[in-house]
Amino acid sequence: MGREIRSYLGRALAYALVLEAMLAAAILYWPQFRDNLPAILKLVPSRVMGGMVDAIVKGGATSYVNLQHFFKGCHALGGAAAVLFAMGAVAGEAHRGTLEMWLARPLSRKRILCERYALGALAVALPVFATSATIPWLLSLVHEKARLSPYLLGSTHESVFLLAIYSATFLLSAVGSRPTAIAFAMLLSLVLEFALYLVMEATHGSIFRLADLEDFTRIFERGSLDWRVCGPLVLFSAACLAASLAAFERRVP
Amino acid sequence: MQASAQPIPSDRRIVTRGLSRSFGKKVALHPIDLDLGPGQIVGLLGPNGSGKSTLLRALMGLVRPDSGRAFVDGVEVSGDGTAVRRRSTYAPGEIALYGEMKGAAHLEWLLRGRGREAGKKARAIASDLGLPLEKKVRAYSHGMKRQLLLSAALAPEVGVRILDEATEGLDPSRRGVVLERLADDAARGTTILLSSHHLGEVDRACDVLVFLSEGKKIAEEAAASVAERARRLVRLSFDEGVEMGKVSERLSRFEGARVRIEGLRATVTLGSAEPSTFLSSVLSAPDLPRPRAAEYGELSLSDLYREIYGVEGC
Repeated sequence: MGREIRSYLGRALAYALVLEAMLAAAILYWPQFRDNLPAILKLVPSRVMGGMVDAIVKGGATSYVNLQHFFKGCHALGGAAAVLFAMGAVAGEAHRGTLEMWLARPLSRKRILCERYALGALAVALPVFATSATIPWLLSLVHEKARLSPYLLGSTHESVFLLAIYSATFLLSAVGSRPTAIAFAMLLSLVLEFALYLVMEATHGSIFRLADLEDFTRIFERGSLDWRVCGPLVLFSAACLAASLAAFERRVP
Repeated sequence: MQASAQPIPSDRRIVTRGLSRSFGKKVALHPIDLDLGPGQIVGLLGPNGSGKSTLLRALMGLVRPDSGRAFVDGVEVSGDGTAVRRRSTYAPGEIALYGEMKGAAHLEWLLRGRGREAGKKARAIASDLGLPLEKKVRAYSHGMKRQLLLSAALAPEVGVRILDEATEGLDPSRRGVVLERLADDAARGTTILLSSHHLGEVDRACDVLVFLSEGKKIAEEAAASVAERARRLVRLSFDEGVEMGKVSERLSRFEGARVRIEGLRATVTLGSAEPSTFLSSVLSAPDLPRPRAAEYGELSLSDLYREIYGVEGC
């Protein structure tokens, strides 16, 4: 499994570094952003985004960090990572012709698929937690105080959301043979979903409503996860994994 | 799954009964029965697309059969075939490796689940073949990649080895080393099933030859008997203008002769391996045009199969 671990570790590290850089830049910019909030509120182009800025006005640094880290950084970069990490899981092997060799070892298909799923899932989720763990320290640099535990809960919610995207892509990879087409289709869907999110009349039809700024605000207020949202997302991922296993069991190299 | 009614012999290493597989409307493998014993080297021969790889994959559990049953080293192939793959090794015919890995690491990857001893032995085999394990696989030639797969397939102590296109891409000296190793392995009781679409590459190493064409088993016989039949082949070439229909009719009158016409060539399978009587009769027959050339005793097994079964591509 060394090859797989190294491969996912490298990708996870790169993703974590970019995420951390985005987070650090955003937090260090917070004092200027805070001071210019009234002007920014006037410039916001859509009602949905206006609602976000309103939330920052009310919630201060916590809402700002939630927006910057979870909603912007993790959704954009994490969503792309989830797609890119899953697209080649099986389809990549088929595409490069290594599927037969991969399956010919004396290991069960269930085991090799679950190992690959788990490695990719960890590569998607761990950077979210790792970067979130630095938030209290980064906020201290701009003279703001924060506790770690709410950010870890927020990371859990965000990870569950990203894993749903990862699992859907993984399922497509388990049945497909063209990783680039899978990635293109998934990324395009995510862009469309985000566009939907920004339209006030259609925003509630977007999957990004499942990990919205409001959700993170609620987690911070209650100090617990909202299982009405997380539960179905976890079930969706489990269903995708089960379907991937079923397809993979019968897959011809 | 329906299987043929023949019983399953317990002393065989590879047994199939009515094993078949289709891909859509294309029948890749018609129901096939095989019985291969311990210590046998069996050559699975046939042109591209004849169903060899499908059969080998079905035996390894990589392709689920539509019907029939298969047993490898006493274990029935079922589910995803993990139990079978633990008791056998397999080298795929298609060569696609991870170019970014070094040879040694790739060997280790291929042998995951086989134990340390297999790893040591595989490195020793690779070293015998002169494979530079410290180099990245992307720097390997086609033949070196084949050697890497073979090193992994030949190392573990198992009862059955299944090698798809085992010697394809190997230079003659390395092919010799590999075939020698297979012979040693078989002498210790391992059953080896290897496929090739080049008949001449593997036939000398095999005890039994199984010939597939369009997914059907069209012949299975001892390699020695096939070679003996090859010696009974005589090919006569005639000049332009000769009526080959009449030639065929006349040649068929020789006792035990079977005739196949291809253009201006007539290939005759004789009743015995002694062609001199036949040739002198041909030359003295007044109602038979004199052949321009006669070849005998040097036709390859591929000629034999082409002449007998009319199959091209071997």
